[in-house]
Amino acid sequence: MVIAFVFLASMTLICSLGVVLSRSIVHSALFMSGAFLGIAGFYVMLNAPALAAFQVLIYVGAVTVVILFGIMFTQKPQARHFRTIISKQLWPGFFVTAGVGAFLAYIVTIQDWSGSEPGNGMRSVGQLGETLLGVNGAPEIFGLLFEVASVLLLVAVIAAIVVSRRKTGEGIDRGVEE
Amino acid sequence: MSLDILNQEPIRFLLSFGVVLFLVLNLAAIFTMAERKVSAYIHLRFGPNRVGPRGLLQPAADVFKLFTKENLAPSRADIWVFLAAPIAMFLPAALVWLVVPFAPNAVIADLNVAIVFFIAMTSIGALGLIMAGYGSRSSFSLLGALRGAAQMISYEVPLILSLLGVIMLSGSLSLVDVVNAQAGGFWHWYFLPQLPMFVVFYIAGLAEARRVPFDLPEGESEIVGGFMVEYSGMTWALIQAAEFASMGLISAITVTLFFGGWQPPFEFLDLGNFNWFWFGLKTSILVFTFQWVRWSLPRLRMDQLMDLGWKILVPASLIWLFVTAGAMLLLPSVF
Repeated sequence: MVIAFVFLASMTLICSLGVVLSRSIVHSALFMSGAFLGIAGFYVMLNAPALAAFQVLIYVGAVTVVILFGIMFTQKPQARHFRTIISKQLWPGFFVTAGVGAFLAYIVTIQDWSGSEPGNGMRSVGQLGETLLGVNGAPEIFGLLFEVASVLLLVAVIAAIVVSRRKTGEGIDRGVEE
Repeated sequence: MSLDILNQEPIRFLLSFGVVLFLVLNLAAIFTMAERKVSAYIHLRFGPNRVGPRGLLQPAADVFKLFTKENLAPSRADIWVFLAAPIAMFLPAALVWLVVPFAPNAVIADLNVAIVFFIAMTSIGALGLIMAGYGSRSSFSLLGALRGAAQMISYEVPLILSLLGVIMLSGSLSLVDVVNAQAGGFWHWYFLPQLPMFVVFYIAGLAEARRVPFDLPEGESEIVGGFMVEYSGMTWALIQAAEFASMGLISAITVTLFFGGWQPPFEFLDLGNFNWFWFGLKTSILVFTFQWVRWSLPRLRMDQLMDLGWKILVPASLIWLFVTAGAMLLLPSVF
């Protein structure tokens, strides 16, 4: 268990550092998939295989692939590399990082960790689905959030269609104009 | 008693993973041989017939040749991405074999989310493809990778939707449960009530395995090999192995989901622990149909590919999903 933890933790940390420190945006995206895989490994260690499978499916298989796809489709090859890894937004970045770090540290200190065992949550997919949809006495707020998320996705899809649609009838073709 | 040590957890896993890896690597060699023989018979030729009896040792000669070839990489290539790409393509295809039930009690990991695991692993395949295309720093490779990523993202949708009917009928995400739910003769197999879903899954599976008529990422006549144009020697062989492994995998998953896995076609043909024979037979027949399709059909154009995926396969699977749900609601006695 300890060996697996050290392996996964170092993999996640090294890949996360790679995301931030890499000068090529494609390398950053690939490192990000490695970090996501490490997190999925943690879910497996915590006895939550369903969560791990969804983590791989959504974050590695969908998010990273779409990011890479977008990078390759939109940018010129020379724009995929940065000369420096220090962005112009140094101070806002610093404050965001410090805030997130302080918040996580606060959570770690107030939680009582002595009584928590891995794998005492909902493990089977059926139970997870029932809780998510608010049936069999589960709180219904998750069902509402689930629906809101799907509405958000619908809005995103329609927005993508509107943005990418070519204007017809005006004689202006965006692909030619730019 | 002496076998108990093999059941201890890390040893059991390492052992079974080794067996699966051996199987998958050899599968690539065997499928290459089968591919060449099937293509030859479809072309009314003999195919490879020099090495060994009837050319059966040809795969060994092929592997030997590939091992001795030099591994070339373009000087401008992104070398780590370039070298990691074949591994990123091969590992997902090899890992899914861990959840495939070969026979009663012969499944390495009976996950209760095996179907989600299968979908997750096939979705990683696109990542390897993009890595190969980007890492080579060649225009043909990049075009192939773009085509491949678009194709695999699009066909993932009908692939997942077509699985939902089987999940609803069996009420489980575990492949072992799905096989057990199809017991008792071939009329209980899911390809009969789920025929449209089976067709959608088969077509989407062909696209996920990047077989003809969906081999646009390779497109030999247009982009001379696409994402794998810069690979040679063993890196190329690993990509080929990944493609053949995923072809065998799609066949095996199709058999498991729609053709009863290791269930015999009639109950009196039950072979007990040797039921892996039925699994192997059905998978081989399905692999043969993949090859048959490959040597019979021309390649689709990119826009035809997208139209087929989004305008035909997705609506068809959604409609049959509603039909299945309605039937289960109105006729609960049948299911």
